[in-house]
Amino acid sequence: MNNLANQKDREEAVRGLGEDQDMWTNKVRRRIYGKLPPEKLLPDRQPSYVSSWIYVFGILTLSALVVVIGSGIVLSLKGPSWWHESPEGHFINSVHLWSVELFFFFMVIHLWGKFFMASWRGKRALTWMTGMLTFLGSVGTAFTGYLSQQNFDSQWISTQAKDGLNAAGVGSFFNVLDFGQMLMWHIVLLPVVVVAIVVLHVIMVRVRGVVHPYPPKGAKDYPADDMGWTGKYSRYDIIKEGTIAMTVVVLLTLVFSVVFSSPDEKPLTLESWARSSPTDFVATATSELAGTSVAASYGYPYNTVPGSGQKLGPIALPDIFGVTIPVDPANDFVLKPLSTDLNDPSLANALRAYQASSSSQKTTWLANYSKALDSATVSNGVVKVSSGKYGSLPAMMNSLLTMATSGGLDTSLVSGNGFYGTDYTKPLLFLADSQYMAGIAQKDHFLATQWGMMNETGNFPGQAWLWLYTFFYQIKPFSSSGNADVMVWATMIVLSGVLFAVPFIPGLRSVPKMTRLYRLIWKDYYREAEAESKAKV
Amino acid sequence: MESLIAVFIPIFAALINLSTPGEYVNFGVISISAANFVVVILMTVVFFLAIFLPFPGKKERTK
Repeated sequence: MNNLANQKDREEAVRGLGEDQDMWTNKVRRRIYGKLPPEKLLPDRQPSYVSSWIYVFGILTLSALVVVIGSGIVLSLKGPSWWHESPEGHFINSVHLWSVELFFFFMVIHLWGKFFMASWRGKRALTWMTGMLTFLGSVGTAFTGYLSQQNFDSQWISTQAKDGLNAAGVGSFFNVLDFGQMLMWHIVLLPVVVVAIVVLHVIMVRVRGVVHPYPPKGAKDYPADDMGWTGKYSRYDIIKEGTIAMTVVVLLTLVFSVVFSSPDEKPLTLESWARSSPTDFVATATSELAGTSVAASYGYPYNTVPGSGQKLGPIALPDIFGVTIPVDPANDFVLKPLSTDLNDPSLANALRAYQASSSSQKTTWLANYSKALDSATVSNGVVKVSSGKYGSLPAMMNSLLTMATSGGLDTSLVSGNGFYGTDYTKPLLFLADSQYMAGIAQKDHFLATQWGMMNETGNFPGQAWLWLYTFFYQIKPFSSSGNADVMVWATMIVLSGVLFAVPFIPGLRSVPKMTRLYRLIWKDYYREAEAESKAKV
Repeated sequence: MESLIAVFIPIFAALINLSTPGEYVNFGVISISAANFVVVILMTVVFFLAIFLPFPGKKERTK
């Protein structure tokens, strides 16, 4: 009696005074209360068919997301360098990594389960679609996380991913080589989007409820998919289930972090490259100066090179935006750094002589020097070639080599021209042109032909969820096309759209009904309902 | 505080070192790291266990 009175009081309070019915606040309050009253938001009863392990993967995914965010907050509080420098930081990074792995692990199983239940039935398409958006948003968030690691893995991933993004035109404003930009996307923009979609997804689940099973054999008066459940209900303690799920996820994450830790292969630097492989460094720098390197002939968004961009049919998407991240390899990687070395008069003379020479003269020197470097030797930190007509190139290139081995070139190429710098576009493009970086990547099984995008250094699991994206690069027509990146991206966008729109695609939306895996998911319900139905007959 | 952290430092190091040269599984065009392969297999096994295994606890049911 008391409860009923309380209920009535509450409903009256929600309704408010008659004179306030036209107020926006009043309308929103009534709408929220009508759609999502407290007993729906925190239910203590569920339809009795909610009796399968597959239902726990939604709450496990949410719990993993909480651990991901919690560990991410600790990493953010201490700054991006902390985890590389301290064992405690490295441990928190391990917690972050393993909670991400668990998050995707549970989310994929949740997705499979919901697909085979055809969970979009009964006006629940928006629930499915917000789930798919969560998945796609999480892939993007994890990807920017991998780019923000500041180790060799992130260096290689960024130099490879840029090609796909640039070919799709996205790279013009989403620069994966800019560590600062990627870190902000990873710790602010994308998490905000993912959490907002997850909240919307959970609200949709609570508002619409979980989808009914397909009707059992001999069912009469079975409720339509979009109607309330008229069958039996079971006790359901959502807070208890959430607490157990959180405990399981925290324990699993801690165990994995203690047992396996997390990878952190040191990043390459121009200094380490120049010290380890001076001839390759000089040969690459020469190709930058000659305009024959990949960076120099790349095209948009870095520079203008007619006919360089990939095309999707007749459309070259990068052409829409043009040069948005200007990079002139000859100047930026070689001439400008050399011109800042004011302490060496012989270098200043060599540079002046080179710049004063004619274009054809430069071309001849560069071609001769590039060829001579094939049989170059290194002595006392100097790359030596057989005598020939190279102009002042040997002096210039050995000065650049000295600058690189001293570490000066690393700071010189980080954009910003000031004390602070977070944009590594130029040093990464320079490194990406080297044989040195590719050689290390090959050893780590990172090359595109090695399914590199989904691999991690050592024996750690990587971004296994990128398997389809990586797979397309291995097969024709993608593997043999000069437009492979834009073709793969277009295919992935179409397939993501298909996944998103499953509830509306005839044939595809009927796959769950045809496979009949739902009979296993709801086996308890079907056994009971069909036995009752038989008994009645 | 630092001495307290030092006590726990041993647990921050991996008990099993995965930073060793990677192992890969190859069949045809497919090349997958052993670690990713284990994850995919585990995911599939857990999915099928989740739909095959009976859910515990016969809960009180009401109309």
